Amino acid sequence: MASNPMYQFNVYRIGPEIKLGAVDISFTNASLFMVISSLAILIIFNLGAKKKTLIPDKLQLLSELSYSFVAKMISDTAGSKAKPYFSFIFSLFMFVLFCNMFGMIPYAFTVTSHIIVTFVLAAFIFIGVTIIGFMKHGLGYLKLFVPSGVPMVLLPLIVVIEIISYLSRPISLSVRLFANMMAGHTMMKVFGGFVISLGIVGGWLPLSFSVALTGLEILVAFLQAYVFAILTCIYLNDALNLHH
Amino acid sequence: MEEEDFKTRLKSAKNKAKSKYSEGKEPSTSGMGHAFKMSTELVAAVAVGTIIGFILDNWFGTKPWLILIFFFVGVIAGIMNVIKSAKRMQQK
Repeated sequence: MASNPMYQFNVYRIGPEIKLGAVDISFTNASLFMVISSLAILIIFNLGAKKKTLIPDKLQLLSELSYSFVAKMISDTAGSKAKPYFSFIFSLFMFVLFCNMFGMIPYAFTVTSHIIVTFVLAAFIFIGVTIIGFMKHGLGYLKLFVPSGVPMVLLPLIVVIEIISYLSRPISLSVRLFANMMAGHTMMKVFGGFVISLGIVGGWLPLSFSVALTGLEILVAFLQAYVFAILTCIYLNDALNLHH
Repeated sequence: MEEEDFKTRLKSAKNKAKSKYSEGKEPSTSGMGHAFKMSTELVAAVAVGTIIGFILDNWFGTKPWLILIFFFVGVIAGIMNVIKSAKRMQQK
């Protein structure tokens, strides 16, 4: 049972069954790991922000570095108008990063390897960015779908294409994160299974692969959180500075 | 004297910060991040186009036609997405 590479993605209930109407809202292992990563973020950044010494200790350095990293990312991609949304993008980036990184601990559950989690995050971003766009530009936001300098004959086709590409944003955002996390963790499990089945004679090759894959997966875990946050910034940039 | 010096330094630092916050341009992401971005953008637009075609087909009862048309429109949208982000990469 446990040798099945997909078994690690099972969601099971922890504690009693809780029902809200017809909806099952019991506490699961996925909720547990979401709570763990949120708590870890809260604890690390509260401790890091507590002491304001000129020469920082490790935690303070960590929180200050991540602050300036995200602040630079936002200002580079979305400009100064996006500054008010710093807290949202920072929490988003940290949540995805911590969920990915906690998934790298053996026997841990990777929350972001489930499409429903990433899709809910992406849908919130998509709806939020659309609302911001309409709030800032009114109906002028619809100009996003009408690029300038297009002949009238092609316009209906171009508008349909632009609408499809706008609607594809949450899909590509959520599928990218989910697919990368799931594929990576499945691959690690498969190679781990090879080590056992080939035994002490032939098991060394997949074992070395496993070690290399672990490094790659840590890189991917960080990179995917980064890409997720930076695409949010790009979408926000489209909504704030309408230049088409 | 020292205060003057501090003031000029503060001014130049503020100017630097201001120019940093100039309007949006793409930062220097690693190439791998871009690769991930493009591949899914291509696929997602095709999927969205096909889903829209499927739903419209069910509405209007024109079973195979709209799904075919919107599939190809989705392919075009996906390719345009990739071209757009490639252009964005070149601009920096």
